[in-house]
Amino acid sequence: MLNIQNLTVSVDDKTILKGLTLDVPAGEVHAIMGPNGAGKSTLGYTLAGRSNYEVTAGSAALNGEDLLEKDVHERAAAGLYLSFQYPLEIPGVPALTFIRTALNAQRKLRGEDEMSAPEFLKTTREVAKSLKIDMDMLKRPLNVGFSGGEKKRMEVLQMALLKPKFLILDETDSGLDIDALKVVSEGVNALRAPDRGMLVITHYQRLLDHITPDRIHILVDGRIAHSGGPELAHELEARGYDEYLGEAA
Amino acid sequence: MAFDLFDPITWPTRRDEEWKYSDLARHLRITPRELEVSTDIAAPKLVLDGFHIHNVFGADYSGLEAAVKAANGKLWLRHWARGRLDGVAGFQNTGRVDLAAGEHLILFETYEGKGNYAVHSELEFTLAEGARLERVVVMDEPETATSVRQSTIDTAPNAHYVQTVISTGSAFQRFESHVTHAGHGAQVRMDGAYLLKNKTHFDYTTRLDHQHINGVTTQAIKGLVKDQAQVVFQGRILVQKGADGTDARMRHQALILNDGARVRAKPELEIYADDVQCAHGNTIGNLDENALFFCMSRGMDEATARGLLMQAFIVPVIEAIDDDQLRAAVLEFVEAKAGGFYGV
Ligand SMILES: Nc1ncnc2c1ncn2[C@@H]1O[C@H](COP(=O)(O)OP(=O)(O)OP(=O)(O)O)[C@@H](O)[C@H]1O
Ligand SMILES: [Mg+2]
Repeated sequence: MLNIQNLTVSVDDKTILKGLTLDVPAGEVHAIMGPNGAGKSTLGYTLAGRSNYEVTAGSAALNGEDLLEKDVHERAAAGLYLSFQYPLEIPGVPALTFIRTALNAQRKLRGEDEMSAPEFLKTTREVAKSLKIDMDMLKRPLNVGFSGGEKKRMEVLQMALLKPKFLILDETDSGLDIDALKVVSEGVNALRAPDRGMLVITHYQRLLDHITPDRIHILVDGRIAHSGGPELAHELEARGYDEYLGEAA
Repeated sequence: MAFDLFDPITWPTRRDEEWKYSDLARHLRITPRELEVSTDIAAPKLVLDGFHIHNVFGADYSGLEAAVKAANGKLWLRHWARGRLDGVAGFQNTGRVDLAAGEHLILFETYEGKGNYAVHSELEFTLAEGARLERVVVMDEPETATSVRQSTIDTAPNAHYVQTVISTGSAFQRFESHVTHAGHGAQVRMDGAYLLKNKTHFDYTTRLDHQHINGVTTQAIKGLVKDQAQVVFQGRILVQKGADGTDARMRHQALILNDGARVRAKPELEIYADDVQCAHGNTIGNLDENALFFCMSRGMDEATARGLLMQAFIVPVIEAIDDDQLRAAVLEFVEAKAGGFYGV
C-alpha cells in the first residue's frame, strides 16, 4: 500500500528526513512515535506535497503510484488524507461548503459524478451524529472559533466523508478530553478496512489503547530507529526514547 | 463642484492632497468634448421586483426628483454613458435627492457604458430627521472609461445612511462621498468591495465629518487586485470638538494577487472630542499559503481553492446589504465577475 524508500527531505536547506524507509500494507494501522522535532509532521507534509518541503532523495508510492510527482490535490484524489496536527481556520467558508467542494473536486478529478446536495447532506448528517457534531456547527466557517477538540473531530468527519484509501493522522489525539478521545477513536476505527491503510502519529500510549496498531515505528532524527509490535508503546511509556537517541547519533 | 471637466485649469493633480494618487489632469490630458448623450441603453438583464427604473444618460439627472417620488421607496438609477471613436466624450452634471423626516429610500445605482467617455457627476443628498437611505452602487464600467462620481450626504439626528460600493474599476475611476454626520443617534455605514484586474484604477474616497454627539459610523472595505491594477482607498474620519461619544470604526483589507498590482491606503482619524471610540484597521496581503495548502490537501485544485478563499474574503461585505433582492443581485454580479478573476 504505502511504500517509502530512503526518503530524504530538507526544509529551507535543513535536512529533516534522512533516508526514511517505511512500508504500510493495506489493511494495517501503523503508529509512529518519536521525540519532538524528530520529523514526524515533516513526513506527513512531504507525503501530502507541501511546497518548500524538498525531496532530495528517495521515493514514496501509494498502491504503486508515485506520490511525489503529483500535485497536492492529485495526491488527495489518489486517496491520501493528511489530518493536520493543527487544522487551519478558513474564515468565510462554512464547513459544509468546504467539505462538499473538496469532495466534488476529488470526484471530478477521478472522473466520477458529483455528489448531489441532498445526498451529501444526508450522509453528512449521519456521520456528524456518530461523531457527536452538531449540524449547526457545520454551517459555521470551518474551524473558526472551534475548540481544539472540535477541530480534531472535524478532521475525522472529513475523513469519513472523503473516504480516502490511506490516512495519516498527525497527533489527532492531542487536545482531546477523555470522552472526545473515545469518539474520535471510534470514528477512526470505523474506517479500518482491508483495503485501507493508516499511519497514526502520536506521543501517547492512550490513543493506541483505543486504536490498536499492527506495528509501531520509532522515528528519531529523520529515520526509523526501531520497529516493533503494539507492546512497544508500553515500553516507551516506561523507558522513554533515550536508548534510541543513542543509536541515531 | 470641485472641478470642471471641461476646464483643464480646474482639474485636480497630484499636488492636491486628496488627489495625490489619482492624478486626473495627468490621466485626462485632453479636454473631453461635451456631446449629445446617446440613449441607446439596453433593457436591463436583471429583474428587480418593485424597483422603479430611472435612466441617467451621461450625468443628466433631470427628472430625478420626480423619479424619487414615483419610486415609492425603491429606485434603480441606471447610469449609462457612451463614448466616441474620435476623442473622449464628456458628461458632467449634478443631481439632488431630499428625503423628508422619516422617509425611507433604497437606491440601487448602476454605472455602465461603452467606449471612451469621461463622466463627472455629483449627487447631493439630504436626510431629514429619522430618514433612511441605503445606496447600493455597482460600478461596472468599461476599462476605457474615466469616471468621477462624487456625492455629499447631509444627515440629521436619527437618520440612517448606508452605502455599499462594488467596483471593477476602469481606466480612471473614483467614487467619493462626503458625509456630514449629525450625531444624536444618526448612523452611517460606508462599505465597499472591489475586484480589479488589468490596467484599471479605482479610488474610493470617503470623508466623514462628525459634528455632534453620539454619532455612529462603521466602514468595512475589502478588495482583490491583480495584474497592473491600482487601488486607492482614502478614508478620513473627523470628529469635531464637542462631538463627544462618537463611535467610529473603519476597516480596509486588500489582497494583492500578483506583484504588478498596487494598493495605496490612507486611513485618517482626526479627533478633537472626548470620550470617543475610534478604530481603524488596514491590512494588505496575499492569500494565505497555508490555507491554500490545506484546501488542496483535501482535493481542491489550485484554481478551486483560490476561488473559494477569495470568494470567502470578499462576500461578507455583500452579505451586509440589507435589501434581500439587491444582496442576491450583487452576489450574482460578483460571482460572475469572480469567475474570470480567480484564475492565476
Ligand atoms: N521551515 C523550517 N525551517 C527549518 N526547520 C524547520 C522548518 N520546519 C520544520 N523545521 C524543523 O524540522 C524538524 C522536524 O519538525 P517536525 O514538525 O516534523 O517535528 P515533529 O516530529 O512533528 O515534532 P512534534 O512532536 O513536536 O510535533 C524540527 O527540528 C523543526 O524545527
Ligand atoms: Mg509534529
